[in-house]
Amino acid sequence: MSTMFADTLLIVFISVCTALLAEGITWVLVYRTDKYKRLKAEVEKQSKKLEKKKETITESAGRQQKKKIERQEEKLKNNNRDLSMVRMKSMFAIGFCFTALMGMFNSIFDGRVVAKLPFTPLSYIQGLSHRNLLGDDTTDCSFIFLYILCTMSIRQWIMIPGYGAEAVLNAWRFGLLILLSASHLRAVRFLHCNCLKLHKYHFFIVYQHLFVIQEHK
Amino acid sequence: MSGGRRKEEPPQPQLANGALKVSVWSKVLRSDAAWEDKDEFLDVIYWSRQVIAVVLGVVWGVLPLRGFLGIAGFCLINAGVLYLYFSNYLQIDEEEYGGTWELTKEGFMTSFALFMVIWIIFYTAIHYD
Repeated sequence: MSTMFADTLLIVFISVCTALLAEGITWVLVYRTDKYKRLKAEVEKQSKKLEKKKETITESAGRQQKKKIERQEEKLKNNNRDLSMVRMKSMFAIGFCFTALMGMFNSIFDGRVVAKLPFTPLSYIQGLSHRNLLGDDTTDCSFIFLYILCTMSIRQWIMIPGYGAEAVLNAWRFGLLILLSASHLRAVRFLHCNCLKLHKYHFFIVYQHLFVIQEHK
Repeated sequence: MSGGRRKEEPPQPQLANGALKVSVWSKVLRSDAAWEDKDEFLDVIYWSRQVIAVVLGVVWGVLPLRGFLGIAGFCLINAGVLYLYFSNYLQIDEEEYGGTWELTKEGFMTSFALFMVIWIIFYTAIHYD
């Protein structure tokens, strides 16, 4: 087995481990707490109740009925907000961990071609796929590109049943956002100092942020 | 739902993370199966896309199929096969699920990422190892 393919498999393994780590941190900080379990049960109960009420209500329903539904919707919104606040803790913890881990992996795999791409990426993707690699061969794949693809595909297999995939995905996205933001700031500073055009790279970083955030419901 | 030919079926059990029990998959190939639970049907679409992604990733990596043709081929086959499945084979009412676009979007990006990973791994292993 060549070094490059060994690196490919290693990155898949790292992706699985970091996904498990993120899931574990979220379980410890969020999922097993009574407050989260209570809020989640409350939100589910209220959602079902509201859905049933909306199905039975007619257009000629009285003002009182409609006001009742509005109150229930407001209550549901408040509970959802409280649930998000509880999840915020794990998002920060995961974001912090991931920033440290990614910094470490980036330096380990710095300049190493970890895979060969069977296609030539678009120019604004090359900033990610050819990151920190020498040479002009744009089919060389860097660590971060393969890692992002692996994480996007592997997370779905590792979610803890019944605990809301969305929460874990949001935490991961937050961590990646911190990493990309830090990279973006360094990149912008570098490009500014070298008087290069910023707009293409800037667009890519913003697009990456949006793509990561809106990737999965 | 064009349910004239559909039979009444008891609700199928489903695991909380969206994974499906075996009994659900037995309905998948039956064109007259009833899909009362919308989430269950969306999960079938989602996981079917992942299976297609794995299969195409392996095939494209082994052949090998390179370049934009590989990516375009994946998108067409992934979207096309499932569109034919739910539109022609099952003949479901797409409006009940938010339209054809919502069904096409379901799990597409995740399956695309999975396809890319499998494609890259097999391509690197077989043609550059």
